[in-house]
Amino acid sequence: MRISSRISSILRNLFRKQQVEGQLDDEVRAFVDMVTEERMAAGMSASEARRSAQVEFGGIEQVKQAVRDRRAGAGLELFWQDVQFSLRQLGRAPGFTIAALAALALGIGANTAIFSVVNAVLLKPLTYPDADRMVEFLAPSTVIANNLACIPEFHFFQSQTSVFKEVAAYDNAGPGYNLAGDRPEQLHGIHVTEAYFRVYGAPIQLGRTFTQQEDAPHGGKVAVLSYGLWQRKFAGDKAIVGKSLSLGNEPYTIVGVVGKDFVSDPQADIWLPFQFAPVSDDMNHFFQVAGLLKPGVTVAQANAQLKLAAAEYHRDYPNTDPRQEFLVGTLQDSIVGNVRQSLLVLLGAVSLVLLIACANVANLLLVRATGRKREFAIRSALGAGRARIVRQLLTESVLLSLAGGFLGLGLGFVGVRALLAVSPAGLPRIGEDGSAIGIDWRVLSFTLSVSLLTGILFGIFPALSASRSDLNSALKESSNRSGTGFRQGKTRSLLVISEVSLALVLLIGAALLIRTFMALHGVGPGFDFHNVLTMEMSLNGDRYQKTAGVSQLSKDGRDRLNAIPGVELAAAAYWLPIDVEDAMPFQVIRRPVKKDCCGSKWMSVSPGYLRLFRIPILRGRDFTENDKAGAPGVALINEALAKQLWPNEDPVGQQVMCGQGIGPELDGEPVRQIVGIVADSHNSGLGQPADPMMMVPIAQVPDGYAAAYSNIQPLFWLVRTHGDPHQAIAAVTDQLRVASGGFPVAHIRTMDEVMGRSTARESFNMMLLTIFGAVALVLAAIGIYGLMAYSVEQRTQEMGIRIALGADRSALRKLVMWQGMRLALLGVAVGLAASFGLTRLIASFLFGVQPWDPIVFTTVPIILSAVALVAVLLPAVRASNVDPMQALRAE
Amino acid sequence: MSPKPTNLLQGTLDLLVLKALGSGDLHGLGISRRIEQITQGTFLVKPGSLFPALHRLEEAGWLSSCWGESENNRRAKFYRLTRAGKSQLAVEAEQWARVVLAMTNALRAT
Repeated sequence: MRISSRISSILRNLFRKQQVEGQLDDEVRAFVDMVTEERMAAGMSASEARRSAQVEFGGIEQVKQAVRDRRAGAGLELFWQDVQFSLRQLGRAPGFTIAALAALALGIGANTAIFSVVNAVLLKPLTYPDADRMVEFLAPSTVIANNLACIPEFHFFQSQTSVFKEVAAYDNAGPGYNLAGDRPEQLHGIHVTEAYFRVYGAPIQLGRTFTQQEDAPHGGKVAVLSYGLWQRKFAGDKAIVGKSLSLGNEPYTIVGVVGKDFVSDPQADIWLPFQFAPVSDDMNHFFQVAGLLKPGVTVAQANAQLKLAAAEYHRDYPNTDPRQEFLVGTLQDSIVGNVRQSLLVLLGAVSLVLLIACANVANLLLVRATGRKREFAIRSALGAGRARIVRQLLTESVLLSLAGGFLGLGLGFVGVRALLAVSPAGLPRIGEDGSAIGIDWRVLSFTLSVSLLTGILFGIFPALSASRSDLNSALKESSNRSGTGFRQGKTRSLLVISEVSLALVLLIGAALLIRTFMALHGVGPGFDFHNVLTMEMSLNGDRYQKTAGVSQLSKDGRDRLNAIPGVELAAAAYWLPIDVEDAMPFQVIRRPVKKDCCGSKWMSVSPGYLRLFRIPILRGRDFTENDKAGAPGVALINEALAKQLWPNEDPVGQQVMCGQGIGPELDGEPVRQIVGIVADSHNSGLGQPADPMMMVPIAQVPDGYAAAYSNIQPLFWLVRTHGDPHQAIAAVTDQLRVASGGFPVAHIRTMDEVMGRSTARESFNMMLLTIFGAVALVLAAIGIYGLMAYSVEQRTQEMGIRIALGADRSALRKLVMWQGMRLALLGVAVGLAASFGLTRLIASFLFGVQPWDPIVFTTVPIILSAVALVAVLLPAVRASNVDPMQALRAE
Repeated sequence: MSPKPTNLLQGTLDLLVLKALGSGDLHGLGISRRIEQITQGTFLVKPGSLFPALHRLEEAGWLSSCWGESENNRRAKFYRLTRAGKSQLAVEAEQWARVVLAMTNALRAT
């Protein structure tokens, strides 16, 4: 009964409002009339009686409003009223509305953009069913911490059945596979062990995944297809299982197709079994290992167990480094890696931009509130309580921020795409060109709550201060220029000071990253990367399981490429000079044999590689075509290795023996004589010093090593051209197809592009922080300008009087400028102090510049102050040009 | 008559309005006067509190209203206790008695 009566009341109140209001009116009037009659009957005059009746009643409008506020559905109705009123008010001040919307859309848009990246990279759970139990093998203490494992390590992990439910190995990148056909194509394929699909919980669309027999040596040539490849190349043929597929001219039997939604990392079109030997002493680290913890086992427990079991492993393999630890970490962490910190810093930076935007809008609102003083006074005279006015103003600001948020959502979505198109950030999990970054419920609710919060944040102070007005004085004031009270002036000054200080923090961060980027680009990489074309070729097939085949291809390919007009020189290698990831232990002949004596980065190259990259030979000679199989073994070392091992003697002529104890892959490795020293180049990235490195001819590596490389990664072809390298692409790919007997090339890039990618993260961070800093600078300048322009306008009369009384105009100008600059300088001081503390957060992203770089910490405040000076100059000039007669007459 | 009218306790007003209407239908001014009378002038209900309370009680379904003629032949809105209102009056009266008893005992306790 109560509920139904309440609902009918709400409906009546909302939809038959006129009738309800009319009745309230009648009722109130009847009450006053009756009291008046009583008073008249008691002997008062008619007018006196009515007056006293009204006094007894109190404010008629206030009583009526109290009744309205109590009505069922009043909240809803009031809200709707407020919304309509706010929209009218905002529409009436288009300049203000547009300015506020622009600031908010910019601030919220930037936040939405960054959050959508954070969401895709850090927040979205991995799509695998047991993602929380998936762990990745880590190699914290090996020479190169690339987290790769060898077969004995893999078997060791497999044997830890007390903590792992499943353990699987998979290729780090994969060699790629050449799919035969009219237009040969390189497929992205990786080797996996049989348990891989169970660890990743891959759904099966058709057929099955590998059996244990298929994953054992001589298990046959079988393949599992991705859904995408199945659709693209086989038109979704339902009878595909059992059919044959030609990879690198060899037939593979298709045993299954995985489901549509399976996203593997690294991404793959096709999976092949590793077929590891059950017992192996192959110490070559060339694949990654992931595992599924048993239910209830934590990462810490697994690591404790691995630590215990490590001793056993070192007993079984006495040649291994006993300091080698075994650790696992969650898969999500290992995929995200060190990106987390840089994204969080960006998120922090972008929220500062939003704070500045908030301060700006709050300032605009304060100005507006001053202009609307009379409106508020009249409304409170008509029965609106203070809470009512605050609520109305908050509705206005929240509406504003929601509209800003809506615009910002669009802006952010477009912005993040544009940004990633310009600067591929090298971020994990964002898909091809950021396609995995989208708007989901997390982004939506983030934007919504940020909008609501900002609306309340920038709305609450202006609303409170506006509603604090004294009704009587406000109504009496003849002009709407009254009431720039001390308190309000202080609030606005504080807002401007904080804007300036936040902007300074952002600008200093941006400047540090710009200096970092410049420092990175100022680093001579140690090789010439202009006019060089790079591309990859997958070497599939038995021919490339032997050194002779690879070396013959290298020779034929280079001969054909060198014959192309416009090509200066061609070479082949397994690594590009900016990123050499392989390493090898070795012994120096005629020095006492020591376990773990020496080791360095190691790569095999064709003749011409050094000349192509213009890496100088400091001593000795380059490789020639005569350094072939059967000829005496040779090696080149870089300066860093020479200094490390032969600080006081000439390395040229020394002999080394590489890869002892590595296992079958290095069987047949010859004793090598060092024939030359080459200049250092940044072989671990521009931000890192050159690591010691050894190079050997492709033609002189053992067969096992050649086979291992053919199985784990593609070969790089390198071409130096006389002109634009892009011109040569068609001819180069044609010639390589002929030389290889039909293999395609993939990932055709200029070396300039490769270098750009190697600093993609730095350039992404720098670009974003620069954009944020610029936006902050503009917003802060507008903030100062707005405050000073407004205060000059308010004081036109005062200025007029001063001038009329003989004040010096230039003194007046200085006065206004000083008032504005004082705020700016205070903001700069606060911002400097904050920056000293905050730049430490980005210390790990910096290169070649200190977090407290004196150049940055002096120039940025000067730039900001200069901009502030320009912003206060205009109002100051206006103040000094006030015409006293006009100013006085205006009032 | 007490020299100074007491402020109404929270919740007391509803009970007084229900009670005032217990003896028959009344318009707004009548209710105000009736409360003044039955509390011997202790409570003076101002229109600013009375009208919102009347409308709230009506929306709660405890009062119903209709337009009628006042004693001076003036059109006025009369309020009447509904059946739900009567039982509400009983409930609230009983609650009030309990509060009074408890408070009295509490204040007497040594």
